[in-house]
This record gives sequence, structure tokens and C-alpha cells, in this order.
Amino acid sequence: MGSEWVLTDPDRLLVYEADALTSRPFPPQAVVLPTSTDEVARVMGILHGNRIPVVPRGAGTGLSGGAVASRGGVVLGTARMTRILEMDPENRRALLQCGVPNSTLSSAAAPHGLYYAPDPSSQTACTIGGNVAENSGGPHCLKYGVTCRYITGLRVVLPHGEVVWLGGQGREAPTFDLVGLFVGSEGCFGIATEVEVALIPLPEGVRTLLAIFDSLEDAGRAVTAIISRGLLPAALEIVDRNTIKAVEASIFAAGYPTDAGAALVVEFDGMEAGLALEAAEATGCCREAGAREVRQAQSSGERLALWKGRKKAFGAMGRLAPDLLVQDATVPRTRLPEVLGRIDEIAQRYELQVANVFHAGDGNLHPNLVYDRRNPEESRRVEEASMEIMAACVAVGGTITGEHGVGSDKRKYMPLVFSPAELEALAGVRQVFDPQGTCNPGKVLPERPAREEPGGSTP
Amino acid sequence: MNPTILQALGEILPAEALLRDSAASLPPGSGASVAVVAPTSLSQIAAVMERASREGWRVLPAGLCTWLGGGGAVEADVVVSTRNLRGLTAYEPADLTFTADAGIPWGTLREATRLNAQWLPLDPPGFREGSLGALVATGASGPLRQAYGTPRDHVLGVTMVSGDGRVLKWGGRVVKNVAGFDVTRLTVGSWGALGVVTSVSARLFPLPERDLTILVRAPSAEDLLGPARSMALSPLPFSAVELLEPVGAVSPHLEEGELKAALALRVAGSEAQVREAEARVFDESFLRNDVGAGSALRLRDSESVAFHDALSRWEEGVPLVLRLSALPSRLPSLLQEARELRTRIEASGGAGGWRQAAKGREVSVPHGPGPPAGEGSGYRIAVHVGMGVLRLGIRLPSEEGDALGKLAGDLRALRERLETAGGTLTLSQGPPALVRDVGVCGEVGTEAELVRGLRREFDPAGILQAGRFVV
Repeated sequence: MGSEWVLTDPDRLLVYEADALTSRPFPPQAVVLPTSTDEVARVMGILHGNRIPVVPRGAGTGLSGGAVASRGGVVLGTARMTRILEMDPENRRALLQCGVPNSTLSSAAAPHGLYYAPDPSSQTACTIGGNVAENSGGPHCLKYGVTCRYITGLRVVLPHGEVVWLGGQGREAPTFDLVGLFVGSEGCFGIATEVEVALIPLPEGVRTLLAIFDSLEDAGRAVTAIISRGLLPAALEIVDRNTIKAVEASIFAAGYPTDAGAALVVEFDGMEAGLALEAAEATGCCREAGAREVRQAQSSGERLALWKGRKKAFGAMGRLAPDLLVQDATVPRTRLPEVLGRIDEIAQRYELQVANVFHAGDGNLHPNLVYDRRNPEESRRVEEASMEIMAACVAVGGTITGEHGVGSDKRKYMPLVFSPAELEALAGVRQVFDPQGTCNPGKVLPERPAREEPGGSTP
Repeated sequence: MNPTILQALGEILPAEALLRDSAASLPPGSGASVAVVAPTSLSQIAAVMERASREGWRVLPAGLCTWLGGGGAVEADVVVSTRNLRGLTAYEPADLTFTADAGIPWGTLREATRLNAQWLPLDPPGFREGSLGALVATGASGPLRQAYGTPRDHVLGVTMVSGDGRVLKWGGRVVKNVAGFDVTRLTVGSWGALGVVTSVSARLFPLPERDLTILVRAPSAEDLLGPARSMALSPLPFSAVELLEPVGAVSPHLEEGELKAALALRVAGSEAQVREAEARVFDESFLRNDVGAGSALRLRDSESVAFHDALSRWEEGVPLVLRLSALPSRLPSLLQEARELRTRIEASGGAGGWRQAAKGREVSVPHGPGPPAGEGSGYRIAVHVGMGVLRLGIRLPSEEGDALGKLAGDLRALRERLETAGGTLTLSQGPPALVRDVGVCGEVGTEAELVRGLRREFDPAGILQAGRFVV
């Protein structure tokens, strides 16, 4: 690859010691930055032959500590693999290298009237390869679904360096949906170097509403009413009182009233005809649920303003404390009010401040805990409160992560959702792809299953 | 039935779970020794699978047993049917999700969700007679795939009993879930090669307020291919774009004189959306010129639903059904391939009729507007235009000489051409000898080792779909 693309200087390695979960840094021993499938395959082969752990990494925007060399070894960065190999509007597909940023793909498709639907908040930075690894979501997956739905083919370098092609548009694959299995495998099955995606037409029109409520419960009732009417908004997003306060006190102030209990963003998109009616119906639902105010964007500038309080929420929380733990869990939508009450109670008991931002339509919540990691006692409370929050979500039929992944951060919660037999089977699945256990070790599966780690014995 | 196996099953299962009379409904050539069981609980299924794995009994997982053997003979010692597990175990309409036992008949599920103005928008061939579990296990889809995707896009979680009797739950009933590897996706479309799916959670959609199918008719499919492609690529929210020839294969009264082919544009949504889409379709140049003028029909709401229900029975009783797939831009060449294959079969004395294949096999009689099996023009073509899938239903060559052997050779050559161009050829149904000879699907590529490894993980004794599932 050229020695300039193999980084070993400790200063340069610092960049790679953490992803967006910054609390537990692990500097890698080296970083390699290949440009092609062939180079990746040769790098993987060498590392495999020497039993050196390899950690795939896109833009490092992940929130679960997944792209971090927690067991040492080499980070394989995809930052130079940024070519769009085929833009094929005739078939509404594209083939691209894994390091292409999410929004770059949509920009490239736009002249053809197409776009790539999944839009995680970090979309200007995060890469398609990272999205594949995490099965990323975003605010618009209520209507459009998550990454998995749009990935149709993958060129994968397996941990031992072999290259395989999985799936592909135009094929009715004669075997298992290995693309579906690979998406969301968090770098444990190898590296997807080339990704084939399905593109969809840009919506003709968009209507965006912002409804202000006195309480979170009222906002929740509005969401239920909208869904019950058979409306399918592109997005249904809620920010709570603490989040509104943080945003309005920051440079991102979006004009949300600071005494409000919750703000709900509702967006419809699609064919222009019918959008006005849908927006009117949703406005009615909000008013009936007690909204004190419903604003509708009249221009794209106003639309961005309405979204601002939601999109900048995480940034604004930086004002509250030095550290922010962005939690992620999903519950059945109808259990949201109850779970939010539980979270509130847990935070109070641990004397922590929690600010909630959530994809209400999907039941995907992000309770954010602000703290100072230099205070070990407070860090411990954050840790314990997180475990209780996860348990509360699982207790109502939810799960421990909706879109951020397990990474290294959430391995400890895995036994909340999987039985020992299931964890064992997951370890077995991983072993099919990576018998030696050197591809992103120490991620996803908890410590226990003996088969996960190299040298572990099969019971 | 094998007396040893039967005795062992008798120890595990209650008497009502042993279906003594069902051997009669097995496809021809299945042999008299196949035991068919329909356990009444999850733990019974686990016990059967655990024992089967230990003893090395070959097991075929099944749903309502309407399509046992998938068109071929059943090569198994035990068929494990989920038809006694058919509850709708959780349904919260406001969540737009449900959980149901795998054996729930499609009709039961459709009715329960319809009462809440919701639906599971899937319409694969023959789905009306099948179970939810079968839909998931086959991962099959129909014309609605244009807008809604395939079962992999709807299933949120599954409970399965693995080949060696482990009860494993994957996913859940929340719409976003990235905890652990996505074994749910692996299970969808795995044809029972990993285990018996016993329960399924999936997401639902609001039932569209209006449902309209615009039928544009013309003498041949080729006349309509251009408009079909441009419609499939337009931003109009079609839920299906299907090209049919003859359209009489769906409903005889839709065929008028020279107008044998039809483009069926289905749009389902709110009143305003459907009205707008309708206006825009009729503003298209292909409907304003001579070809289009006067040829278009509108099927509204219940008529539109009935048309698509009939379309889902399009494969019933057809002797040979092939699926040709390619990127949608290659549809003209798929259509040409289908025409040439038909010519070759006709030339080799395509006297073997529709009826022949139905002989000795239970073919459900179509109710509603579908044509009775055995009639028609001896072939039928249906294209999912947006997906690049062409289905060809066709009669078999006569049994004289080696016409079937010649057909097998033609199919292998066709498969090779399609695969070279990045496509596939699948034999959906046909005479068992031909299917065995040509293979249902082509070879699995470089990923074969992974597939084998995954099968070993879930079915260490190799008792599931032995010799049937590729790899």
C-alpha cells in the first residue's frame, strides 16, 4: 500500500483510539488505510496469518465503541475507499466503495432524481460501510425502513482474506440471505469493501410540522392518534423538556418555547397530492391531544429551523456537562409513556440528569445521561442507571439497541435479551465467518461464551 | 410409515399430533414411509427435533401442508407441520406489529388485521392457501414487492426450533433492533434448512384507503415494455407494476380480441394520491396515442384487490413455471429468452398439456375469475417490471422421444446465459424428474462454505432439507 498508509506514530494513532463513545479509549498498535478490495484482502491475509486482531473502521462516528481496538491490534480504516463505482439510475442502484459517506451517495444520486433513504444523524460524515456494519437507522425509517432494506449486494473480504460476493440485484439468490445476516454484524464477519445499494425516487413534496406540548404524555398521545388514523409519516420525532432547555440555551437555539414539556416534529413526504390533507389531519391529532401550538414550515428554510432543535440536540447537550452518554433502546411504541416514566424515576434515584430525544414512531429512544467522567462516583451511577434503563426497556418487550449497535459498550446487556443458548448460537454464527476470532474481537458478544475468543474451547 | 420412527414419535407426541391419514396428500413418489406430525406445542416440536437429530431422521418442516415437497417428492422420514400452532398471540394495532404462531393461515391473519384497517403487504404465489410460517420460510414475494419489498423487510423476529431441538428466539416485536447478529434475516427464506420456524413477529402497514389498478392493454407484451419500464421508474407510488400476457391467465374477460397483453399498474394510498396518480398515468403519451387509446381499464378497490388475488393464483396447475431474473434494464432480453424457449417447446411437439402435470397431484380449483387449470394458450408470462423478474408458465413438451431431456438441456443453457449476465433461473414448479435434473436454482457461488457452516451450526446432524436445499 505504501508505507505512508501504515500509521504507527503514536500521535497519529490518537485519532483512532475511540469512536464517538469517547469514555473508554484504546489506542491501536497500527492503522492501515487501503484503497481497494485487493489491498484489503492482502492486509487481512497477513493479519490473519499472524493472529493479529483487526478492527474495521469507517468514519468513527459510532456510539457503541465498536470501531475501537479494545483487544489491541490493527485498525483498518476505509477513509480512502471513497469511489462510487457505478451509478445506475436505469436500475435504481449504485455500487460503491465502503468509505463513501452516506450523504455523498445521496448527492451523487440527486441529479437522477434518486436518493439513498437511510439518514443517520451523522450522515454527512458516516460511511456506507459503517452503516452496513451497524444496520444504521435515522429519523426517517418509520416510513422507509433501516439500512438492511437498501443493501442488495456486498463484496466481503472474510477475516482470512478470501473475497466473496453476496447477493446482488437482478439475482434471486439460490441460498440464505447472507447480505441480511452480514448487515449489522459490526465488523465481526469481515469487511464489506464494496456495497450495492437500492436507490429510491426523491419525494416530490415534504410537509413538516412542529407541535409544542405541555407534557410528554400529551405528545405521546398525539403520536398514537396519528398512527391510529392510518397516517404513515416519514418521521415522528420527540424532544423532551430537558433537551429543549439545553438546545435553547445553546448556539443552536431553534425557537422552541423553554417552558414546553415536549416538542414533536411530524414530517410527511411523497407525491405532492394528499400531503396537505395528511398534514391537516396530523395537526388535528396534535391539537386534540392538547398541543398548545402547531407550526407548519412554509419553506425549506423554515423546515430546517423546525428540525434544528431535534438535529442539534446532542451537540447542545455538551453545554450541560463534559460528558454525554447517548443511550439507545427500542420499546413497542405503545409502551413509550410508561417507559419514559420509568426512566425519569431511575434518573432521579441516581441523581442524574436525563434528556430524552426519540424516534417516537419507531419506539426508539435515546435517553441521554450527562455527567463528568473524571468523577468516578458519578460515572458509576451512570453505569448503574444505564443497566436499569435497559432492563426497563427489555421488560416491556423492547431491546437494548435500536440503531447504535452493541459494540464494546453494550455487551454486558446482551444477556438481558438473549438466553445462554442463543448467545452460544450467535457465537457459533460468528465462528462460521471468523473461526480464529480475530476480526473485531471483544465486540457484540458478552465475555462468557467460551467459543467467542481465540483459543476458547467448545463445550 | 417406518414403525420404529412412528413408535418413537408416539412416545413424544399426543395421539392427535400424529396425522395418520395425511400420507395420501403427499406428492407422488414420496414413499409410504413418511410420517407426518403436527405437534400441538413448541416443546413437542423441540422434543421431536432433538430426537430426530439424535436418530438421524430426515425432517421436512412444513406449515399447512398445502405445498409439501415444493413441487417435488418428499424425501424425508418425518414431516413436522406447524398447522396445530395457529394463534395470533399478540396484536397491538397502535404498534403496527403482531406476533403469531407460524401455522396461522394467511386468511385468518388477513382478516384480523383488516378489521383494524391494517395489512401485511405481501402477495407471493399461492400465499392465500398457506401459513405465515411458510411465507417466512420461503421468503417469497409477489407484485407488491415493487413498493413493499419482501418478507425480509417486514419480519421483526422469529422463534425457531433448530435442527437439534434448541428453542431460539431472534429479534423481537420492535421495528428497530440491532442487538446481536441478525439471525432473523438469515431465517427468512432459509426454506427450513436451519430449523422449524414456530412463531413470527412482523410489522404491519395502514390499509390503503383506495386501491386502483389501471390495465393498459395491447396485442403483445413487447408493445407495453417501454411504457412499463417508464412507469416503474417514475416517482409515482405504484404498489405493483406487472406486465401480463395473456391477461386472460388472470381473468378471461379482460382479454378482448387482439388485446392479449396488459400492463397492470396498481396504486394504493389515500384518495387524493390515487386520484392524482390516475390522472398522471392517463396523461402519459402511451395512453394518448393509438396503442393506448381505448385499451385501458380501471379496476377500483374491491375489483383491484380481486384482480391481484387472482394474479396470486397464476401458477396454479401450470405444468412448468420458470423465474428468470436480471437487472430490470435487461427485461427486453428476458422477454426474448422466454419467447424463444416457448418456440422450442412448441416445436418439439408441445402436446403435453396443462392437464398432464396436474395428474395425480392435488391442484386446488381456482375460485373467482381465474381460468380453470388446463386451458389457455399453453403459456403465460408475468413480469415484475420494477424488479427484473419474469415468470414463464408453460406446458411441457410431449413425452415422445427425449423431449424432456432436450428441455433440460435448453434450461441449463438458459441458466448459464442468465447467470453470465448477473441473473438467475429458478424452476418454481415442474415435473420432479426435470426439477431434479436441472436443479431448482443455480449453483451457490463463493459463499458456499459459509452456507455449509451455518447449516452445521443450526443443524449439526444434517437432517433438515437433506439433499433438497442447495449446498
